[in-house]
Amino acid sequence: MSLIQIRGLKKQYGGKYVLQGINMSIDAGQVVGYIGPNGAGKSTTIKIIAGITDEFEGDVSVFGMDVRKNALDIKQRIGYIPEQAALYDVLTPIEYLRFIGKLYGLADEVIGTKSWELLRLFELADKAGNRMNTYSKGMKQKVLLISGMMHNPEIIFLDEPLSGLDANAVILVKEILFQLKQSGKTIFYSSHIMDVVEKISDRIVIIDKGTVIADGSFESLQTQAHKGTLENIFTSLTGGDQQNSSTAKEFIDVLKN
Amino acid sequence: MDKLILRILLRFIRIFIKKDVDFERLKIIAETKVLMDRRRTPSNFKQKQRKEMKNPLLFTLIMYSFIGLFVAAIILNGIPLPVSMIIVHSYLLFMMAMTLVTDFSSVLLDTTDNQIILPKPVNSRTLFLARVVHILVYLLQFTIALMICPVAATFLQYGLLTGTVTLITLPFTVAFAVFLTYLLYALILRFANEQKIKDIISYFQIFMTVFFAAGFQIFPRMIDLKAISFQFKLHWYSYLLEPVWMSVTTEAFHDLNFNSVHLIMIACAFVVPVLLIFFMIRFLAPSFSKKLGALNNSSEADKGSFTAVTKQKKDLAERFSSMACGTQTERVGFEKTWKVTARDKNFKIQFYPSLAYLLVLVFVFVFKNPQSFIETWNGLSSTKSFLAFVYLPIFSISACLSIVPFNDNFTAAWIYQSAPITDPGQVISGMLKALLIKFFIPVYVIFFGFALYIWGVPVADDFIFGFFNNILIFLLMANFSDHYFPFSQQPNIKMQTGKFVRMIIQLVIVGILIGAHYAALFISWLPAALIPFSAAGCYFLQRRIQRLPWLKISI
Repeated sequence: MSLIQIRGLKKQYGGKYVLQGINMSIDAGQVVGYIGPNGAGKSTTIKIIAGITDEFEGDVSVFGMDVRKNALDIKQRIGYIPEQAALYDVLTPIEYLRFIGKLYGLADEVIGTKSWELLRLFELADKAGNRMNTYSKGMKQKVLLISGMMHNPEIIFLDEPLSGLDANAVILVKEILFQLKQSGKTIFYSSHIMDVVEKISDRIVIIDKGTVIADGSFESLQTQAHKGTLENIFTSLTGGDQQNSSTAKEFIDVLKN
Repeated sequence: MDKLILRILLRFIRIFIKKDVDFERLKIIAETKVLMDRRRTPSNFKQKQRKEMKNPLLFTLIMYSFIGLFVAAIILNGIPLPVSMIIVHSYLLFMMAMTLVTDFSSVLLDTTDNQIILPKPVNSRTLFLARVVHILVYLLQFTIALMICPVAATFLQYGLLTGTVTLITLPFTVAFAVFLTYLLYALILRFANEQKIKDIISYFQIFMTVFFAAGFQIFPRMIDLKAISFQFKLHWYSYLLEPVWMSVTTEAFHDLNFNSVHLIMIACAFVVPVLLIFFMIRFLAPSFSKKLGALNNSSEADKGSFTAVTKQKKDLAERFSSMACGTQTERVGFEKTWKVTARDKNFKIQFYPSLAYLLVLVFVFVFKNPQSFIETWNGLSSTKSFLAFVYLPIFSISACLSIVPFNDNFTAAWIYQSAPITDPGQVISGMLKALLIKFFIPVYVIFFGFALYIWGVPVADDFIFGFFNNILIFLLMANFSDHYFPFSQQPNIKMQTGKFVRMIIQLVIVGILIGAHYAALFISWLPAALIPFSAAGCYFLQRRIQRLPWLKISI
């Protein structure tokens, strides 16, 4: 029995289908990298699986439960880390984590110790008393990561988790994802940073214009597309290969005028 | 106060709680939202405080209760009860609606909830109730702040029963204000997109700021109302006005007079707001949040498909800059200033009130005698008050000098340093020209037109002389202050901190110029003869700014 089961998932905004029939099943302990060009429907898919959007066609189940009917039970057992630092930034991280922790029904003492410990590990402890509107994007992203994982979820969904982080933090998050995988968590994430996806994913799903165009391990994608790196595979599959080089040439030509 | 209200409300709710509501989660959501309300900088006082205040909300509330004093003074003045009650309820309705309009997105309909709370295991009833609690806390504390003085005055003036009835009617007026706000937003949403809404909100904020600035000048003058006799008559349209219902209801209990008119009004007062709120929750709100949600999504979906705008026509900024500026560098400063001042919300919020404050200044300077507006008006043409019209514009317009260097996007100013600019002063002179042409000249022309109407052609030479003097003053101020590129500084940090001596010198020079003009009035040909000198001064100062070297410019 797979952990996440998606059958014929379609979603429309104003008459236009942004997801056009997605099928996927994900087993426990997998790390799935979900990539695609902007507007391909990555965030929308993640929002539907995490039980945030319930207007869609098709069937989606998590832990064998229907996301439409058991959204609350599912939300309790998963962590969702959204794109673009969406948090209440007039709060301090301690206050914010207390807020989130209580929404997950954690006890006060657990929240207290966990947030301090986790902030310390992310080197934010000395700024823990400052309001987050003074934080950089990377610092907010760290708080967001903590807030999505402090209730120790079984599945973690991350939407562009590395955006805005500095080089060290990227390595740290990569390592955290790796360790999470070791401890048996299931991770589903989207990213633009191809070499990270290449290194830590068991399975890579490429989506374009609302449909899955490739699905498999990095090695199998390599043999499929006869290309070296994930970046090459990605551009050849999404049809950007030829176009990118001709656009670049034109760019140079215009500069010369 | 907010925490106290919250605690009472929560205790109350706990009794009536249903099985499917999670009290702990409700409590933490409501607490967090109340805490955030405290920290949100109120937009209407933004320009006054640069530093982060510990509790800006409390400051706002104290301000509100202070204004309430004026309303209380009107009640204690002994004007007829219906009239004073209409004033009280209109005031509450107006203030509440204005506050709600500006805080709408954080109080009545918070779309960030969808991103932050929706992914968490919170059921919709709990979230809904938490929102209701939060809104109630918000409304209650504002109602208390606004009404504490007027209600106290009512108790004092009219006794226990009337005071109590007033107290009871207040929540209905607040409910009505909530409905009005919702309706306004629903209308705006029907015809406009989200960006428009943000613009409209910022205009409301500007309006609020002006209202406060003007209110403090005008309200105290209005307290002396005894002279004007108030006649209160019911017209057919009175049945449509919410404050009238409330006022007549109060009157009915005060006089213990329950005829048919009073009974109809009482029914309106207590039934209509409840019906409207019911209608709002049932029909308006759901379609509303759906629409807002759709707005967020559609902006996402439409990203790729905007139409290419082919630009051939020169816009206004380009046309003016080609007329007013000599070099390309100067045009850069001109066009950037022209366009950003039109689009940057923070600039507008800080500057437009001072523009509007001009009217208040006219009111204060020209119509300073409290006795009679009409008398002053009739006697106006025999005074020399037109000098006020000549020189007031520059006082409010020069405020832009201290605002224009600052912008949230200040880092974009790297371009000045990386581009090969040899005459940085040209950028600044372009900026000054843009400010003058955009803000000073239109205002001055209007004032000139007004003065021509009152005083006739003889003031024309004064206005021409004054025109150059105004520009001279403006350029003097620009010369005296630190030189910054437009929109190149981080707000809050370097805001012109009182260079006192410099300010005094500046004031003295301005005083001398205006004094000279006043003295010159006694010799009829003199103002006209002085025009060339003033114009030459402008030219010289302008050249000076254009030639500013890099060294003199603070980056």
